[in-house]
Amino acid sequence: MRRILEIGNGEIPIWLAHTGKGYVVHVRDRAVPCALTPSQGRGAYVLELEGRSIPLRMAVSETATFIHLYGRAYEVGRIDPADWLVEDGAGAGNDSIVAPMPGVVVSVAVGAGDRVEKGQMLLVIESMKLETSLSAPRGGVVAELPFAPGQGFGLKSVLVRLAPKEE
Amino acid sequence: MQIQKLLVANRGEIAARILRTARTQGIATSVLRHVNEQPGPAHLIADEIVEIDGATPVAAYLDIAQIVAAAQRIGVDAVHPGYGFLAENAAFVRALDTAGIGFVGPTGEVIALMGDKVRARAFVEQRGFPIAPSAIEDDDPATFVERARAVGYPLLIKPSAGGGGKGMRVVHEDAALEAEIETARREGERYFGDGRLFVERYIERPRHIEVQVMGDGRGQVVHYWERECSIQRRFQKIIEETPSPALSSEQRAEICETAVGIARAVNYRGAGTVEFIYAPDGAFYFLEMNTRLQVEHPVTEMVTGIDLVAEQLHIAAGRGLNHAQAEIRQTGHAIELRICAEDAAADFRPAIGEVLLVEEPQGAGVRVDSGILEGCKVTTDFDPMLAKLIAHGPDRTAAIARMRAAVRDYVILGVTTNTGYLDAILAHPRFLAGDVSTGFLAEEAAVLTAPGEDVTDILVAATALSDRRLVRTVDEIPEMYRLMGAWRN
Repeated sequence: MRRILEIGNGEIPIWLAHTGKGYVVHVRDRAVPCALTPSQGRGAYVLELEGRSIPLRMAVSETATFIHLYGRAYEVGRIDPADWLVEDGAGAGNDSIVAPMPGVVVSVAVGAGDRVEKGQMLLVIESMKLETSLSAPRGGVVAELPFAPGQGFGLKSVLVRLAPKEE
Repeated sequence: MQIQKLLVANRGEIAARILRTARTQGIATSVLRHVNEQPGPAHLIADEIVEIDGATPVAAYLDIAQIVAAAQRIGVDAVHPGYGFLAENAAFVRALDTAGIGFVGPTGEVIALMGDKVRARAFVEQRGFPIAPSAIEDDDPATFVERARAVGYPLLIKPSAGGGGKGMRVVHEDAALEAEIETARREGERYFGDGRLFVERYIERPRHIEVQVMGDGRGQVVHYWERECSIQRRFQKIIEETPSPALSSEQRAEICETAVGIARAVNYRGAGTVEFIYAPDGAFYFLEMNTRLQVEHPVTEMVTGIDLVAEQLHIAAGRGLNHAQAEIRQTGHAIELRICAEDAAADFRPAIGEVLLVEEPQGAGVRVDSGILEGCKVTTDFDPMLAKLIAHGPDRTAAIARMRAAVRDYVILGVTTNTGYLDAILAHPRFLAGDVSTGFLAEEAAVLTAPGEDVTDILVAATALSDRRLVRTVDEIPEMYRLMGAWRN
């Protein structure tokens, strides 16, 4: 049974199986026998992995697993390959500008329906106290500007959507 | 004025911290909460919660009329502003005065003087205290660029009405000067509603050293020694400590006496901090005075054993200072880490998420001032600081060792925090040697954000085995697996 895990900036395909004796996770061309046992404390577990017993703390959300290990916290994103393929097929391409970080819209230079040139300034955002101007990735027509000046947005929010290219 | 009931006009960890002390003083307590804000630790401590509303959560906490009306309605004797929001707002103090409500802090006049960075510098300079070479736009706007150039590079552009590092730009070469002035002006207008600027010589490899003072408003001022806050990202402190490893005892006495002199010159009332830029050659220059409690005040409390909020309340009640200077001693060493929801490896991008699991570190000399509860959502509505972790030890080495153990034990799952990054700073040889400046984090960025040992297999196995849907599916197919095994043979 497959998953794609996001660790750091990498995507790692994995496979979990049961041998009859226990679980084996297939990762990076290796088969690693493993077992997970709850221990004392909220979210506390011991992971048995290749002869080692590793204590860790875990919390699981809808799309990610958070792990406190050796004094550090890690986030592992979980993607079901089925969802992943759908997203890939949709291919947003360069039709939208996605927020590189959470922030606030400072000003908007264009409106929905406007025709813009490649490189034309579309809006100014502010994140972490710094202003950044966002310009059009290609020429086209602005389809949507979901946020007005003063409004906040989250990471990966769509800030501007251009109408699909007329072929 | 006797304070029988207090409103804390703030939120998060600082509201909780102030409420704890007020309660031990036998004072009835109340605290604000924005209508859409999830309850935090402060809301579990206060006797009364006052709901406020506004266009944005931050706007509500800045709404003077609404907060003063609420304070009158519930009948408080005084308001403690914490830091940030209305803590350094002279209009707020005046509005409280008019309403007959006390303010835990200095007078509106002193706040206005020190809040105007240009006037404050002029005031300090006139009284013979050291300031860095500078040019002030207001002196003659027509020649500002010329005069800025004459200060020499590198220079630092600052908004006159600024603070907290907002709108500051370092300029290294003449070609960039005019463009940077325009950007700083826009930022100043937006953050402070005031585009006036000044520039000053940027001291290379500076340290940030500040002094905690307390005045009774009748001419008596004492200091609680210094704090070093050189570990900064984007001009914002993330690690503070006391004593400063840079100062000899003579230098320490000199810088603390200078701070007391400045506070005495304004007949200061309440808690304040005089900040200095400290150059590698030992020269120091007045930077600004913050007329409020500072985020990093706990390190001072740990080494002096004095509760600064209790002192503030004592002074606000008109009872003067509790301690003579000779009674205020530095014992051991204390460090504070600001635990922030941010991704240090992605240029400190603020992180959002739901706090799924929190376990605070414990142990001798460890203190946690936290603003989060399990289940709360971290958003970009407020500052990304979630909590402060403070460790005290008999000396600097011991304090660092305690802090490293504590920060590694601090479990916060569900939102990315900077705990791993802070631990990497604590482990850095230059930090251990006390060899830092405000440029340290930028200079050592590659080392500090380097990935640790490869734990991919552990993360993968733990994630896979805790994925219930995945495990259930795998458990349902042993039959098929056996068949596959047979077929493979």
